[in-house]
Amino acid sequence: MDTVTLTLLNELFEEIQKKHDWKAGMDTIFLSMRGSFVFDNVAIYLIDPRTKGLEVAYARAMGRGKNAEAEAAWGESLANEVMTTGKKVIKEPVLGSEDPDRLALAHLIGFPLFVGGKLNGALVVIRFGGPAYSMQHIQMASLQAFWAATLIERRDLQEARAELDSVQRQMRLQDDFVSTISHELRTPLGFIKGYSTSLLRQDTTWDLETQREFLNIIDEEADRLTRLIEDMLESARLQSKTIQFKFAPIRLDALLRDVATRIKTHRPELKITFNFESLTPIQGDAMRLSQVFNNLFSNAIKYAPGAEILISMAIAGDYLRVTFADNGEGIPEDYLPFLFERFYRVPGERTVTGTGLGLYICKQIVMAHHGNIWVESELGQGTTFIMELPIDRPQI
Amino acid sequence: MSKRILIVDDEPRYLRLLEANLRTEGYEVSTAQDGVQALDVFSAQPIDLVLLDVMMPRLDGFGVCQRLREFSNVPIVILTARGEEQDRVRGLDLGADDYLVKPFSATELLARVRAVLRRAQPPAETSQARFFTHDDLKIDFARAEVWRDENPVSLSATEYRLLLQFAHNIGKILTSEELLTSVWGVEYKNDKEILWVSIARLRQKLEEDAHNPHHIVTRSGLGYLMPPLES
Repeated sequence: MDTVTLTLLNELFEEIQKKHDWKAGMDTIFLSMRGSFVFDNVAIYLIDPRTKGLEVAYARAMGRGKNAEAEAAWGESLANEVMTTGKKVIKEPVLGSEDPDRLALAHLIGFPLFVGGKLNGALVVIRFGGPAYSMQHIQMASLQAFWAATLIERRDLQEARAELDSVQRQMRLQDDFVSTISHELRTPLGFIKGYSTSLLRQDTTWDLETQREFLNIIDEEADRLTRLIEDMLESARLQSKTIQFKFAPIRLDALLRDVATRIKTHRPELKITFNFESLTPIQGDAMRLSQVFNNLFSNAIKYAPGAEILISMAIAGDYLRVTFADNGEGIPEDYLPFLFERFYRVPGERTVTGTGLGLYICKQIVMAHHGNIWVESELGQGTTFIMELPIDRPQI
Repeated sequence: MSKRILIVDDEPRYLRLLEANLRTEGYEVSTAQDGVQALDVFSAQPIDLVLLDVMMPRLDGFGVCQRLREFSNVPIVILTARGEEQDRVRGLDLGADDYLVKPFSATELLARVRAVLRRAQPPAETSQARFFTHDDLKIDFARAEVWRDENPVSLSATEYRLLLQFAHNIGKILTSEELLTSVWGVEYKNDKEILWVSIARLRQKLEEDAHNPHHIVTRSGLGYLMPPLES
């Protein structure tokens, strides 16, 4: 091999290696060979894994006939012939035919593409008008077919690996989820078992006050277990997107006042201040958004007892922004990034019953509205949840 | 004088549960909510038994177990969750005497505590001699002390009792059931895991080469024995 060819080949290989997309790689190959191998169109047909039929995966018009034939239907019968024989097929126009229309004189070469050892498609090159293909041209087409098969195989491997990575990640998440769930369920169960068997002990007696204390704990833990199971089902439904959201125009200010009124009937001492005027309606699911506000209220009651709640609402660009602020103790900065994660609970907050799912559920609901929710907090100052919902919900 | 038990758990409701039940049996109770606090409380007063939760902030139960074993042979019972076998084995490996699986019943808890405290009592001496030797191993029954190659060996109460079984039965094969019943109590008869881990720990401390033991030898399918020395 002479030095010039070698240098060319090396440059070509390097160029191809840099391309992440196999089609871009093929472009490089065809363009670099165009000088010595002239043809009009090229198409690569691959077997569609679903239909099992041949589909055009790549088509380029390279030369003189750049107009009508780019849709690649011209190569289909030859590609089918290659697929049947598994060998290269060359079709020259019948000798002696002197059709004045160059386009009627088609010279075709088809090469099989073996991907992963299996016949998986064909590369077809067409040239309108003469001359006939030389041996060198056929060799170049063969090289192109080899490269096409190699690049497609590389793409398949990359896709398979990405899929494998994703499955493994899912499995890890699933593992974590199962172990967290079993721990979360076991905690209330352990209390119910422990306190009820204490009361059942025959070798001791408990005073009435202790009995009531234990029974209350059993009762509360049974409630916690129920809530945990409900929240788990809800978060699983939200995650698998099996919940149907019912979007309708809603007035968020009115909805928020409703939720607050209901909370105040149970907690008349709760101080809630609203800071907004009547605002334009948005598209939303009223029931789910009420759930978000309910969660935020019950968090504030649990984790910022005695604090005042200030709710403001305003337009911020294309979004309606709701800020939900309490002036409680605040949350240490280190914990903030994890607040919306499933089952996350701020360490040391175990005295308060909770499932670690409430904010996760809030986030899923807000995201289903194409909105966003986040938290800001300062120790000793309080915690603010900020939620943005699009005023014009984009079409899904 | 009543025994004092240190309970370590980050869940206040477990602390309350354990404390209430232990007090009905006449035990004194100290509590700690994390590992670091547990070590502080432990060093501040004499403790006869530690009930130790595994999952805790700051320093977890394994960490506490490891630290305690650096300077104390106090009986330790770890509290683990059901299904976490590797936790139990790890706890025993680090020198815990026993474990209690959550969720547990109040009677189960009290039975385990009684059994472990019973084991921690120095056993009544039956042998006439004060000292026992087996090659490089030496036991002072009166002071419940053990030496290997003239170096003192620190054994937990359970390990010491296990060693005595062998010393008192030189040349006799002891089955797992026999050892579990006499050292841990009849309720542990089938708890082979706890025996395996304890034998392994004992070998680590007593044998020159724990994989090729000559003080406590395994007879596959039969049990363990301390072989008689050829004189």
